[in-house]
Amino acid sequence: MAEPHIESQHMHIGIPGYLVVFGILVVGTILTFVVALQDLDWIFPGANTFVALAIAFTKMSCVMLFFMHVRWSPKLIWLAAICSFFWLSIMFSFTMQDYLTRGLGVFST
Amino acid sequence: MANHATSYSDKFVYHEPGLQHQFEDMKQQEESVSIGMWMFLVQEIMFFGGLFTVYLVFRFRFPMAFSMGSNHLNVIMGFTNTLVLIVSSLTMALTVYFAQRNKRNWQIGMIVLTMLFGLTFLYIKYLEYHEKYVDGLVPVAGWNRKVKLPGTELSAPLPFETGAVAASEQGGEEEKPYNNPRGEFQWREGSKLVSDALAEEKANPNKKVLTEYERAGYLDPTTGLVDEYRFQEKIRSFFWIYFALTGLHALHMIIGLGLMTWLLLQAFKGTFNSEYYSPVEMSGLYWHFVDIVWIFLFPLLYLLGRHLLAGG
Repeated sequence: MAEPHIESQHMHIGIPGYLVVFGILVVGTILTFVVALQDLDWIFPGANTFVALAIAFTKMSCVMLFFMHVRWSPKLIWLAAICSFFWLSIMFSFTMQDYLTRGLGVFST
Repeated sequence: MANHATSYSDKFVYHEPGLQHQFEDMKQQEESVSIGMWMFLVQEIMFFGGLFTVYLVFRFRFPMAFSMGSNHLNVIMGFTNTLVLIVSSLTMALTVYFAQRNKRNWQIGMIVLTMLFGLTFLYIKYLEYHEKYVDGLVPVAGWNRKVKLPGTELSAPLPFETGAVAASEQGGEEEKPYNNPRGEFQWREGSKLVSDALAEEKANPNKKVLTEYERAGYLDPTTGLVDEYRFQEKIRSFFWIYFALTGLHALHMIIGLGLMTWLLLQAFKGTFNSEYYSPVEMSGLYWHFVDIVWIFLFPLLYLLGRHLLAGG
């Protein structure tokens, strides 16, 4: 763990590793398509949305960690990547805490 | 700094060939370049995030209209495009891999493949947009294909003025002749989900299927029945968001292809090697980012709500 960056300047998972990640992405795409056609509301309302987003997040993590080499990047890159989602969640949650608590009125439709 | 201070007095300073003069060493240069690129990507995430927020707000308000809009999109084309982009991401990752290993020809081959997949994506996107244009689903009046049925005047009433087009289609299976003399936005698939919900509410009066927003958004306040024109306006919002998000994404693909062209020229000249490959890696980050945006666009625009209409 000491100075990982210097030891691993060209480090990544190699061609077999890239193909495995590619395989995961293709399987994820097929899975998200198949699942979208099933009615999952019996689990809980909106389960379809949850599953679709969960698959999308998994695919995104694979691309970021391995294709974009975040896995072997300095901590500063990790910080940038994670903060972007933090800010994004602020944008979503602050917007929605307004919209979700509005009644019907002038600005409702 | 110690190294630097002594090096001023030396006549010949060893310089790694790819090192720009403002950096101490290659490691510092690479880190600076990648943190700069990541800052750019963070602002891109926020930039797309604004549109995703619009999507979130509208989808939350009018899930039925959005489900019907999603269901109309060509899911086979969207699915194919997702696969095409994933393959192009793989070839992009391999471009970086080969650049780091001094394999110029492999690198050029991978760049060409990445560009081909990028172009395939844009071509499929074009086919999809064309389909919407023919169907009258571009949300701007006059931007759709103008269809004038023989025997109709150009001053024929607008489809929402006659009001009965979509309602009559709900009952019968036969296709109504398409008439769109002014290239207006048209929605000809009715509002099955809303009328189903109304029927369900009628069967059990205690059950609320439609939300308050949907009730105000779709229904005629006097009759309590579906107002096809109001419903069409919600579908129109969906298509606005669809065109804004996919259009912005397509623009990023075009910029990416420009970057790839430049990379191809540089790679052809043999600029990149195991010492200096930052431009390849940074273009790769951009390309993967565009892929990630599509990874989210595909389920959000094409798939969500599809299960509601899958049965019938």
